[in-house]
Amino acid sequence: MSAKTQIEMLRKLLIGNKSRSRLWGALFALFMGTTMLLLTVMIWWNFNELLYGKSQYDTLGSTFLVIGKRITQENVSASHTFSQQDIDSLKQVPEVQDLGILTSNHFPAYARLGGKLAFNTDIFMEAAPDRFLDNMPSEWKWEPGSNDLPIILSSQFLDLYNYLFAPGQGLPQLSESSIKAIAVNIEVGTGPGMLRYTAHVVGFSDRISSVLAPASFIEYNNKIFGKPGDVEASRLILKAKDPSNTKFASYIESHGYTTNSQNMRWSKIRSIVEVVTTATGFLSIVLMGIGALVFILFIELTIAKAQHSLTLLLELGYSPKYLGKFMMSRFMPLVLITIVISMCIAIASQLVASVMVKQLLLTLPVFPGWPVWLALIISSSILFTLVGRAIMKAVKNDVLS
Amino acid sequence: MSTFFVRAPSGTGKTTLVHILYHLRKDHEGSVQWGDINMSAIGPEELAALRSNNISIIFQDMRLFPELTAWENLDIKRRLSNTVSPEQVEEWMTRLGIQDKKNSLGRTLSYGEQQRVAIIRALLQPFDWLLMDEPFSHLDHSNTDKARKLIEEIVAQHGAGMILADLDENEYFKYTKTIVL
Repeated sequence: MSAKTQIEMLRKLLIGNKSRSRLWGALFALFMGTTMLLLTVMIWWNFNELLYGKSQYDTLGSTFLVIGKRITQENVSASHTFSQQDIDSLKQVPEVQDLGILTSNHFPAYARLGGKLAFNTDIFMEAAPDRFLDNMPSEWKWEPGSNDLPIILSSQFLDLYNYLFAPGQGLPQLSESSIKAIAVNIEVGTGPGMLRYTAHVVGFSDRISSVLAPASFIEYNNKIFGKPGDVEASRLILKAKDPSNTKFASYIESHGYTTNSQNMRWSKIRSIVEVVTTATGFLSIVLMGIGALVFILFIELTIAKAQHSLTLLLELGYSPKYLGKFMMSRFMPLVLITIVISMCIAIASQLVASVMVKQLLLTLPVFPGWPVWLALIISSSILFTLVGRAIMKAVKNDVLS
Repeated sequence: MSTFFVRAPSGTGKTTLVHILYHLRKDHEGSVQWGDINMSAIGPEELAALRSNNISIIFQDMRLFPELTAWENLDIKRRLSNTVSPEQVEEWMTRLGIQDKKNSLGRTLSYGEQQRVAIIRALLQPFDWLLMDEPFSHLDHSNTDKARKLIEEIVAQHGAGMILADLDENEYFKYTKTIVL
């Protein structure tokens, strides 16, 4: 006796085995469309995270600018510090996301080093709020009474020493790690109240061209050795959303501030990236639409090919709802598997992307963000609805014909 | 229950009438009523329920699935209502002499064999009425007699009525009314 079940017989009648290659083709189109859509949303979201993310680390979207007041022949005798009014006004500028005061030393500081690299020199120091530092070494702390002083040096200073100063003086070139091993004696103040510290370079900064000491150190010594009220900000550090914005650029220009114009040009690239990502997004939606259309056309073709069997099954008393459900039970799992595979690819891509950007000192979440999941839910809901409607329409058309 | 015989020569509308009664054709005037059900207002699901529980049919052109075997053609109908056991189907196949054609594809069966499969298929569901459109046109006397007896037996079990459309005068069943077109 035949062991064929009703389902197997229906499959034989309504789906058949002859369209395997067409089925794989339609599924591939659907898979490509879904994957492209999810990956595009993911790329768009990742760029958004990199451009405007709230991470404490670097983001591509924020450019750090150090600004000062331009010194000209005409204003050389005027004050070049920022007043509270200047600072409040800058905070109101839409492009300015954050603002920090760079506090310079208002005390005499002297550095001494013995040995082969022996030097004695007056030095300057500056403090920036910790949130503006491009890296935060674990040693980066100082408390009153502590003899050890951590220093962050501008990478530019190291380059100037290695490529310009050392060759001319016959001095050895130094790597970052060898500089970190050197202890420098720092003398602060003059006379009997002079304080001595042992300084170590603990890191290098690409962002601020200065000799940075912890804010607590500068504030403590400014209080002891500086004059009350003379600690005004000579330089500011800004976290700006888009410094290439013309309104922002003209604000900087009209107020007579100076900054690194390279940063302002660089951020134009970001606008281009945004346009390209948006355009790709539209393209992916079209691609997903084509993928869904190909799959729905395949279903309609399958039903059209099985029209004779479908008609006879209805004539024998099979209910259109039952046959519709049967067709859906055949096609929907394929759609579901396709979507799941696409989502797995999106998850894996996000993981790879997060690892790759880490090497660039940027951060991205390990899992895709909510817009990707939302795109998945919306696209699969539309897809399931369209496939379901195509099947039921084809079955009902047969009954009504 | 009643047994109607619709007698008419070729091309006078026998099959059309049977198709109208089974709601395969809607291009007609007047209305068809099965009990309380008005066929011109029937929905797809209600129609499917009527066809699987109340009205069965033997088509003139048999209408088997060519890609299914004789057994599968019967089984796909049997499983719809599951009121007849597979053993019963086998017995009926044996009675009509098509047991050895069980695994033959529909497309390879002779007209006579197809007609016997179509007759058994019509009996694999509960019904109140059995519509038959020239049901023995491809059968010889002996096979006609076997099929007639089986139909009569099952119709009696269901307490159902019959409407038979055919070309010529016959005495296949005891007709309560003969309509000549």
